[in-house]
Amino acid sequence: MTPCPLGVSKLPLPSPQEKAITVTDLRRVYSSSKGVFRKTRNIVEAVRGISFDVGYGELFGLVGPNGAGKTTTIKMLTTLLTPTSGTARVLGYDIVADIMEIRRHIGIIFGGERGLYYRVSGRENLRYFADLYGVPFSRREKRINDLLQMVGLSDRADERVEGYSRGMKQRLHIAKGLVNDPPLIFMDEPTMGLDPEAARETRTMIKGVVKEGKTILLTTHYMFEADELCERIGVISGGRIVALDTPSALKRFVKDITVIEVEAFDVAEGDLAVLRQQSEVTAVNANLEGERQIIRVQTPRGSEFIPIITKLLSRAKIVDVRVKEPTLEDAYLKLVT
Amino acid sequence: MALRLQERYGFRIFISSAAFAFKALFSWLSPQMWLTQVFMLPLFEMAFFVYLAKFVEPSTANIAYIAVGNAMQTASFSSIFAVANLTSEEKWQGTLIPLIATPANRFPLFLGRATFQILNGIATIAVGFIYATYIYGVDMSNANFLALSLVIVITSLAMTGFGLMLGSVGLFMRTAMIIANVFLFVGNLLCGVNFPITLLPFWLQPVSYVIPMTYGTSAARAAVLGSNILQLTPILMQEVVTGLASIVVGYLLFIGFEKLAVRRGTLEEY
Amino acid sequence: MLNFFSDPQWIIPNIIAPFVFTAVGLIFFRNASGSLALYAVLGGGMMGMWGNTLYGAGFALAFDRWNGTLEYVLGTPSRLVWIVAGRSASSAVLGLVNAIAILVVALVGFNAQLGIVDPFGFLLALVLTLASLSALGVLFCSSFLLTRSAQVMTNGLEMPIYVASGSMFPIALLPFWSHPLSLSLAPTWGIDAMRHAASAAYTGMGFGFWLDLGVVFASTIVYLAVGFWLFIVVERKARQDASLGEY
Repeated sequence: MTPCPLGVSKLPLPSPQEKAITVTDLRRVYSSSKGVFRKTRNIVEAVRGISFDVGYGELFGLVGPNGAGKTTTIKMLTTLLTPTSGTARVLGYDIVADIMEIRRHIGIIFGGERGLYYRVSGRENLRYFADLYGVPFSRREKRINDLLQMVGLSDRADERVEGYSRGMKQRLHIAKGLVNDPPLIFMDEPTMGLDPEAARETRTMIKGVVKEGKTILLTTHYMFEADELCERIGVISGGRIVALDTPSALKRFVKDITVIEVEAFDVAEGDLAVLRQQSEVTAVNANLEGERQIIRVQTPRGSEFIPIITKLLSRAKIVDVRVKEPTLEDAYLKLVT
Repeated sequence: MALRLQERYGFRIFISSAAFAFKALFSWLSPQMWLTQVFMLPLFEMAFFVYLAKFVEPSTANIAYIAVGNAMQTASFSSIFAVANLTSEEKWQGTLIPLIATPANRFPLFLGRATFQILNGIATIAVGFIYATYIYGVDMSNANFLALSLVIVITSLAMTGFGLMLGSVGLFMRTAMIIANVFLFVGNLLCGVNFPITLLPFWLQPVSYVIPMTYGTSAARAAVLGSNILQLTPILMQEVVTGLASIVVGYLLFIGFEKLAVRRGTLEEY
Repeated sequence: MLNFFSDPQWIIPNIIAPFVFTAVGLIFFRNASGSLALYAVLGGGMMGMWGNTLYGAGFALAFDRWNGTLEYVLGTPSRLVWIVAGRSASSAVLGLVNAIAILVVALVGFNAQLGIVDPFGFLLALVLTLASLSALGVLFCSSFLLTRSAQVMTNGLEMPIYVASGSMFPIALLPFWSHPLSLSLAPTWGIDAMRHAASAAYTGMGFGFWLDLGVVFASTIVYLAVGFWLFIVVERKARQDASLGEY
């Protein structure tokens, strides 16, 4: 896949101090009421005052567990949701006062099964959105062809979208999000639901787009993806930013921690709970991989802690114990739990 | 090689939406279904009421009244049903959000999508009149065809506007289909299609005056009897006004929906 | 049937249309003598029954096609035809409810005069007509199974049936060449029977109440037999063609 020959848009080149995105104490509260006679209000504070900046040409990642407020934040920045309070500027425009200006100059890639007209072809979808964004008519076809080539859909472009696989639809979403040649692109969970092959291709595409000088803000809950792609990461949890730094700086956050990875069968939940309660254990993460459980124990104690772990998990069948370098995932776990 | 986006391109949005909607939003209307809708449905719907009229009051004048009224009413499938369902199609495919995310001017977007159905409506009414003349024996010897054509075009336009308004109302509802279906049939009762609206209960009559078809059927009958455009101007103006009013209300609801959904965060529900 | 209720928007056209047509009919008949108002109400009721049956049969399968459950339904031990028959029957009952609703609204809203001379006969005619409608639904259903456009056909069939069965006017008014077609439809006879039972002065098609009912009963048997046979054929063919999964 060749990277698309994109240029910088017609906005004047910003000075180095200017930021692509500036968020100041952004807050969003959802309230819903249930019942007809005795109304009960249900108030959810999805985003509780977050602030951060993204510079031009940066690939910034917003990482966090489900429900942390990532999607809400990205919706506010893309003018699809009004904030309850706080301000933000995108490309210098205010997200409440200058909605149409922002929409002209950003690309939005939310992915998923929906959001495409499925009875027409991929190419026709792109043509329509090109028209809606005001892509110059004389440049439209070439732009679409370039985009289709970039996302690898050239040979299937004239088939109806209803026949596309999940991965193909995602690629079409990416092409659609770039049709207006935006200097700033928002991506919400771009590889969610894709098989590993398609996910890898998507990440390669994203890297290609950044090389052309675009700014990207993406959200994800895959730490390895953030680690691979992002220059800086904001970790968001419970509606707040709990950490904001480069991946290496965040990893240093856990540099004094050793990770002991235990591969076992039949680990009881009760034993894990006891393990978590140990004073020298920072975090315990258990994942099911097939029938095996992979338990990652974070501790400052190092490999000398292994016998204690095996004793606490003696009821299980331990297959292997490894000592690992802490990853961004571990830093994330430490921050989020 | 920077891409300079166009500044004012409302007309382009209009044309693009018209052409695109034909393929993307109306293609549930397969060729067979379209043929059925344009040729078969009018035939039988007209037959039903004409034969009913023959049973009750078989005077030539009455038959002509019914036949002309029903010929006009045949447009309701395109202008009301198909157009009002536009919004449910968009909702179902989840394309409301990407549309809202674009900077496109909402007015040509709103109007453009219904263009095909305006043409469809005109075609259906024309077929209806062919049936009225050759099958149900309506006497067209005095008809002012220019005036009649104008009535047909204006009615199709105005009713499509009404359909767009219904579609906008449907944005706020779970299923716009209910509204579409109700108004598809209710025209038979309320629009002077089969009998003068003065026969309706007094509390229903105001509704008739809001629907453009009520004026359309009146004007069509007058044109068949020989009235010229000048004579028809007052009633056609009323029809144009109701049509325009529908479009305005529909448009305001459309952008109101967008503002409300963005503020409340309910966009995803649609 | 539950599937049907969960998607109420599909029922709406079949409730609205008969109501509207009945209302129009009643306004038409406003000056006519009492027994003629019968036509409007009975006709509307019959239309309500018919529409729901057709929708029940046609759309039930269409839904299955869309939801991809058709293949699962075919795989069940009970024969498809019984499943469809069940759905047809239940939607005919729905139609009955609809018809009664129309009756009530007509009586209350439009102050229609409706006296039924022979209530037992009327009821008998009603039930038999309902049964014949279900049977007809089963018949149509088998062809819907093969074609992709069940929806097209159901949209197309309603109005012609309303006209051909003389739901609101005597079929004698229709062109002579269409009479054989009208007479081949059980609802035509059923409505005639109901009118006989409702009004002593009614002559209608001239065959009399019991002959009407006889034909309704016979047609029901015929429809069921043909429908049953068609289903076996269709089931076999569909398995061979593997055309069920597509839509």
